[in-house]
Amino acid sequence: MVFIPSYVPAEFLSMYLPAIYGALIIGFIGSMAIALNRRDIHILILTDLIGLAMIIIVSAVGTDLAEALILPGLVVELAETLAISEILLSREMHKIEANPRANLTKSTSLFPQPFALDMEIMTTAPNFIALVLIAYGIFLTGFTGGAVAGGGIVLYALSKKARGLPVLILDGIAGVSGIAWCLWIIGFALFFVAPNLWILSLFLAACGLLLKVASKVGLIGLLMREDIDKE
Amino acid sequence: MISVQLFFYFGIILAIVGSLATAWGPGVKDPIVRTFNTEIASIGVCLVLLSYNHVLALLTLVATTVVITLILFRAIIRLEEMGADV
Repeated sequence: MVFIPSYVPAEFLSMYLPAIYGALIIGFIGSMAIALNRRDIHILILTDLIGLAMIIIVSAVGTDLAEALILPGLVVELAETLAISEILLSREMHKIEANPRANLTKSTSLFPQPFALDMEIMTTAPNFIALVLIAYGIFLTGFTGGAVAGGGIVLYALSKKARGLPVLILDGIAGVSGIAWCLWIIGFALFFVAPNLWILSLFLAACGLLLKVASKVGLIGLLMREDIDKE
Repeated sequence: MISVQLFFYFGIILAIVGSLATAWGPGVKDPIVRTFNTEIASIGVCLVLLSYNHVLALLTLVATTVVITLILFRAIIRLEEMGADV
């Protein structure tokens, strides 16, 4: 017997089997292509297909549970792609260093040309816009709020030559991340220990997630500045 | 009124065609062409998520697709510069 919650619409139920079969076909195509390829970077690109098949299978559930499972899946896939590409690059560098005749050329970034952001809005508006974005993100809390507040931090970090406020240095990212995990875990445990405090634990978890996502997005913005602001 | 199922089946077909194009499509010897072909499949998955009303998942998928494409381009460009076999 299969338990189906009564609030799942009938359309989603009729779309369940086609979604599963389609995702299986996509996963099969991706796995065959990975098995047939020899070169590492092609295998890394083809891994995306497996991730897409995973997303379709999870989304076939059709409720909020699917949405809650897709978000970490996507983020983990992103981190995995980043880590494996770095490993590929460092392995290739080791190969070149082992060969005495070859010499490493100067490394380049994603933007080969100097890419200076000389827009007027970057010098006049960022304080106010970043403040509004961060305040609205804190008001929203949770994943969405983290993304909005992180957008504010990115905007401020990209236009750090703004007059007025001193330059924000996000050195304590690791500490903020630890506090966020503590909030999240306390909220999670409290949810089971004292279920009548559910709104407190919900807000603990939401604020932890806000700190986490905002600091991560801000960190990405700081890393991008290394690429963008070079002369 | 266009039915939701139309979006759903079109998305599934687009995802399958896109994954076929990524695996054995024309010009996939070049890793950049292969990366672009992955976008077709991801647009199909976007349509599937749209038909299921998964707004947050859709937004995150779009954002991570962009970031993954940038990461892959950076890796491909650096590998080609180092003279590796790509």
